[in-house]
Amino acid sequence: MTRSSFLKWLIGIVGAVSVAGILYPVLRFLKPPAAVSGAIGQVVNVGVLSSFPAGQLTAVIINDKPAAVQNLNGKYTVYSLICTHLGCVNAIDGDAFKCPCHGSQFSPTGVVTHGPAKLPLPTYHSQTQNGALLVGPIDLSHAAYPAWYKGEFT
Amino acid sequence: MSVATGPLPEQTPSEAKRRKPGLVGWVVNRLGMDDIMEDQYNRVVPFHATNYIYCFGGIALVLFIILAATGIMLAVYYQPTPDAAYQSVLDISTHVQFGWWIRSIHRWSAGAMVLLVFVHMLRVFFTGAYKKPRELNWLTGVALLLITMGFGFTGYLLPWDQKAYWATKVGTDIAGTVPVFGHFLLVSLRGGEQISAATLGRFYDLHVLVLPAIIIILLLGHFFMIRRHGISGRL
Repeated sequence: MTRSSFLKWLIGIVGAVSVAGILYPVLRFLKPPAAVSGAIGQVVNVGVLSSFPAGQLTAVIINDKPAAVQNLNGKYTVYSLICTHLGCVNAIDGDAFKCPCHGSQFSPTGVVTHGPAKLPLPTYHSQTQNGALLVGPIDLSHAAYPAWYKGEFT
Repeated sequence: MSVATGPLPEQTPSEAKRRKPGLVGWVVNRLGMDDIMEDQYNRVVPFHATNYIYCFGGIALVLFIILAATGIMLAVYYQPTPDAAYQSVLDISTHVQFGWWIRSIHRWSAGAMVLLVFVHMLRVFFTGAYKKPRELNWLTGVALLLITMGFGFTGYLLPWDQKAYWATKVGTDIAGTVPVFGHFLLVSLRGGEQISAATLGRFYDLHVLVLPAIIIILLLGHFFMIRRHGISGRL
């Protein structure tokens, strides 16, 4: 291989890599977000039932949002961990929830036990199937959640 | 038709030797562009212009191309209605893959382009490059600066958040203080007395249709004149 043909190859390879590096994000960008697995509103499998110990809250991530799975003697409930006060992420505090930002507290059923939050934690639609927990869209019908809070889940 | 339709002149042996092989050569051969291309390739950059301060205009052009490409991509998902605008921008930044990346490039390039166009103007001013015979190019440059700022002003409203709303309120209020035509300017920009859905529609139209058409025409004139005049002499 001559020096000149080597340089031509080198330029060609660098050029091809550069073009691919631009094309890849552009093509991914054009793909509709709904077609991406794990996108909002799609049913996601958060794990086998045995990974959620009875009587405990287990933190999970659902569609990039923090949530907690509660196992009450085989009854599974999935709470959002996003605080209804100003949108911080609640910490799991034993079998209840506590917000580190402004001290809001929620009971094991998601009801406010200490302000400043006024609205309960919403739950996700969920069901068990073949020993796994499937989680669907969030249920925001139980309280009059403000627009910014609903926006956290869209 | 007054266009010459006869066959291109047969190439002489020396021309044939110059012709490039391959696809580029084939196209150049069909269009008879050798002379034009050669003229473009053989321009010598004067030594005093091999300085980074002579790059600002070119950088501004690169930024414009980046902005056009990313802007076309953002328009795929952006919805210019008051109900959907803010949410669609949020979706671009959070749900669309690489959407945050494309939007960030657009945002940062926009700020950089305003800066670079302005610095380019300073370079032209302080090297005296606006002097005869280049006055016309200076004037198109002034128009290009104003249009670049127009892009910035109209693009700022599109996310339809509080900052956008109030910036547009203040900006259009200022337009309203122009003597005689002020009120006409204000209602023309806002599409009414108040900022509303009509304002968003008008700003979107300006941002993606009107201003791009004007800036492309002016840029072509700007570059044609640079080629016509050549790079200005040294101080």
